[in-house]
Amino acid sequence: MRLSVKDNQITEINPDPAHPVSEGELCLKGLYGFKHVADPGRLRTPLMNREGGFAPVSWDVALDSIVEQVNTIKRESGPDAIAVFSSARATNEENYIAQKFARAVIGTNNVDHCARLCHAPTTVGLTMTMGNGAMTNTIPELGEFSDVIFIIGSNTAECHPLIAKHVLKAKARGAKLIVADPRMTEMANKADLWLRVPLGNDIPLINGMLHVIIKEGLHKADFIREHATGFDDVVRAVEDYSPESVSVMTGIPAADIIAAGRAYATAKAAATLFAMGVTQFTCGTGNVVSVANLAIITGQIGRPGAGVCPLRGQGNVQGACDLGALPNVFPGGKHVTSEVDRARFEQAWGVALSPKPGLQITEIPDAILAGKVRALIIDGENPMMSDPNTMHFARALEKLDLLVVADLFLTETARRANIVLPAAGWGEKEGTFTNTERRVQRLRPAVVPPYEAKADWWIFKTLADRMGYRGMAYDSPKDIWDELRRVVPADYAGMTYSRLEQMPGLCWPCPSEDHPGTPILFVGGKFATPSGKAALKPVLFHPISVPEAQRKVFDEPIIGHIAERPDADYPFMLTTGRRVYHYHTGTMTRRAPLLEQIGPEELIELNPLDAKTLEVCEGDYIKVSTRRGGVVAKAWITERVPPRVVFSTFHFWEASSNEETNAENVDPLSGIPEYKISAAKVAKSSAAEARANVAAKAAYYLNSVERKVILQMQET
Amino acid sequence: MVNRFVIADPKLCIGCYTCEAGCVNVHTKAGLVAYPRLTVMHTKAGTMPLQCRQCDDAPCEKVCPVKAITFEDHAVQLNESLCIGCKMCALACPFGAITPYATQPNAMGLMGDTAQTIDWARTVSDQANMLPPEGAPRAENPAHPLLAWTSGERAVAVKCDLCHFLPEGPECIRVCPTKALRIVDEDALAASSAHKRETTLAGFLAANHDSPEGG
Repeated sequence: MRLSVKDNQITEINPDPAHPVSEGELCLKGLYGFKHVADPGRLRTPLMNREGGFAPVSWDVALDSIVEQVNTIKRESGPDAIAVFSSARATNEENYIAQKFARAVIGTNNVDHCARLCHAPTTVGLTMTMGNGAMTNTIPELGEFSDVIFIIGSNTAECHPLIAKHVLKAKARGAKLIVADPRMTEMANKADLWLRVPLGNDIPLINGMLHVIIKEGLHKADFIREHATGFDDVVRAVEDYSPESVSVMTGIPAADIIAAGRAYATAKAAATLFAMGVTQFTCGTGNVVSVANLAIITGQIGRPGAGVCPLRGQGNVQGACDLGALPNVFPGGKHVTSEVDRARFEQAWGVALSPKPGLQITEIPDAILAGKVRALIIDGENPMMSDPNTMHFARALEKLDLLVVADLFLTETARRANIVLPAAGWGEKEGTFTNTERRVQRLRPAVVPPYEAKADWWIFKTLADRMGYRGMAYDSPKDIWDELRRVVPADYAGMTYSRLEQMPGLCWPCPSEDHPGTPILFVGGKFATPSGKAALKPVLFHPISVPEAQRKVFDEPIIGHIAERPDADYPFMLTTGRRVYHYHTGTMTRRAPLLEQIGPEELIELNPLDAKTLEVCEGDYIKVSTRRGGVVAKAWITERVPPRVVFSTFHFWEASSNEETNAENVDPLSGIPEYKISAAKVAKSSAAEARANVAAKAAYYLNSVERKVILQMQET
Repeated sequence: MVNRFVIADPKLCIGCYTCEAGCVNVHTKAGLVAYPRLTVMHTKAGTMPLQCRQCDDAPCEKVCPVKAITFEDHAVQLNESLCIGCKMCALACPFGAITPYATQPNAMGLMGDTAQTIDWARTVSDQANMLPPEGAPRAENPAHPLLAWTSGERAVAVKCDLCHFLPEGPECIRVCPTKALRIVDEDALAASSAHKRETTLAGFLAANHDSPEGG
């Protein structure tokens, strides 16, 4: 995108007609979601929370205080008492330096970021089966080559409108669209075949499709023999999932399961698109492995338009994962437990590194409450609203000895910090982003950061310098990038800044400067697993629990169930997600007046049948609560949700669904919480209760510090 | 010559609201009421924005008591300065394409570049404002939702004006990422009808080719 600037302020954003993905179009967030950059509420100086509230301090005072406290905690409790949250909104360079700071300077692998909460099962599941946790193809291939597009658990039209555009392009060309989703999303409504799979039942659906494919001999026997292992186990595992029995379990007509299986398997090029509707379950990894099984068994991989496409959300969540902002891997997916990998990074960074995998984001709150983690450094995340079970997370934050937050605004999380650092943001920084199709693209500053705001990389570098580490003598993001190219040459050696500037990005791996990048992974069935073959895995599911007799047939089956099922007290299922006009916790988009006008408040989707029973009319307020918390917001009466299911978002602090979500039950393989299912109850509410609710939430999230702080900052 | 109008193709519309945001953006910059002149509708049958059909015999034009609604340049135009906010046009419109929108004292301030001057903690107070203010006189149980009012707010009718102030035409068409919106004018209608007649005739002639009466 191209930014127009006047007097150091962004005035307009225009799409780049030459870009292969955007093709000269942007959605409303791209066109109008930039006003936060020049918002008067931007943090101006570092702040320290002293008695009576935040006080503006100099960078020297803030950084020295952080260094002193981190050193003390490290001396008293060891390096693993400190944790770092990096950010999927920060650049590749900044994620690299954040994880290097945690590992080389502090000495812990306690570094993670919000991918834990969105695509952790993708990283685990696809690495397990195919050797690489990323989208296998590029987005324009969908429009050009795919003749069957299978969207499962992705609200593509709302969450990736520009990718939806390529899907429509395929459809106009005659491609068949199959959508599996419990909600009647826009793509479901446009599908040739919509499978209304009940929440959490992806495994039986895909096993049912595989059952049909194998029974009818539509699998690619030669491809499987040459390029995959574990097929026999999958054959046995899907034996019990006949379309008829899956239909009994899920309510999806057997004929539709058969039609979907046949269409996918016999397509010239079939692509599967998936997102959080696959991953955010306690069996998220099982769901992802099912998707991979389907693609491998039908040979729908490694060709133009044929592949597995996890759609990543934030601007740089792919990059943050690739660059090792994860507790178990270094940049380039190298394992912290591997002596060989560790030796390589020890040599590059000049220090001994911890062999112990760090804590995942979802493990941090309990580790804090248990006294194991005493300091948390958060770079550009707002976990008070984005992490599950808000109240539990807030209780953990209170027990910390040191909470440092670097952000653009005094977010819901920053308000609870001991030290807040003003960070430079998008539009103000130099570096690279990696989009969902592994395309590394250059990001250039358009405006100068306001007041004393500094780029995140500078913050980590300066902290490292003051902690006595000599390995971060960077003058610019380019220095960091060039180090990264040396450290992970297989993926990045060929990507110089100057090459990236001359084209709309390069897809990794790109090992040398004459390499054109790799738009399609696993061409010719060459997978990135150690054996070079894809590893098929049996995946089993039962809503309550898979019977022992069924499990013990296999050595290591992946098992799925639903953690919190509806009961007499909580008869509904709450599922969560996003709306097209806001981005996550709203710190940026809610400061864009146009977006805030289109989406000013939470709307909870409620099926017309339930509305009738509850005597709720369009626009009436309803209260949705789970065992953890509740919110009041307006009802949107719509068939988008099936009966006994309500849908809400975490965009609005006035009604954040994460007060209700479940942090207790996570996927054992990836640590992701089950955002998509909580048992809930729904009751009719009133405008008076809604008003009281907003007042209560304002007191809880805002602590009335916001206004006081800005006045203080303006005075200095 | 018949009036022109904007219409969406539900096969292409993904319900992304870019048209609504674009509409507010250009109208605010033109000094007009900051409210979208088209409404994205989600139904079981499909999704698309709904907007004024620019009727050639427009009921809104007929009922307007102050001649704020007139025919101009093959469209039905509404003069916001003349509008007295009586809402009769909204009641008369068969498509629900006219919305009375109350300009709150701070609504203009929230839009466009003047946002800078607003207190940055505004989201708090805005959210409280979104709910009906306690104590402010307002219509209890209005006879029709369109007739609801709150003291202190001045409503005017808002409808699609085809962005007559923009040389490049309607902004919604320009910003729609899937190019689902288009303008229909006399030429487009004529071309479409001609195409349909040709298709009809081709089918008819093919079916009757061999029959003795068919020649």
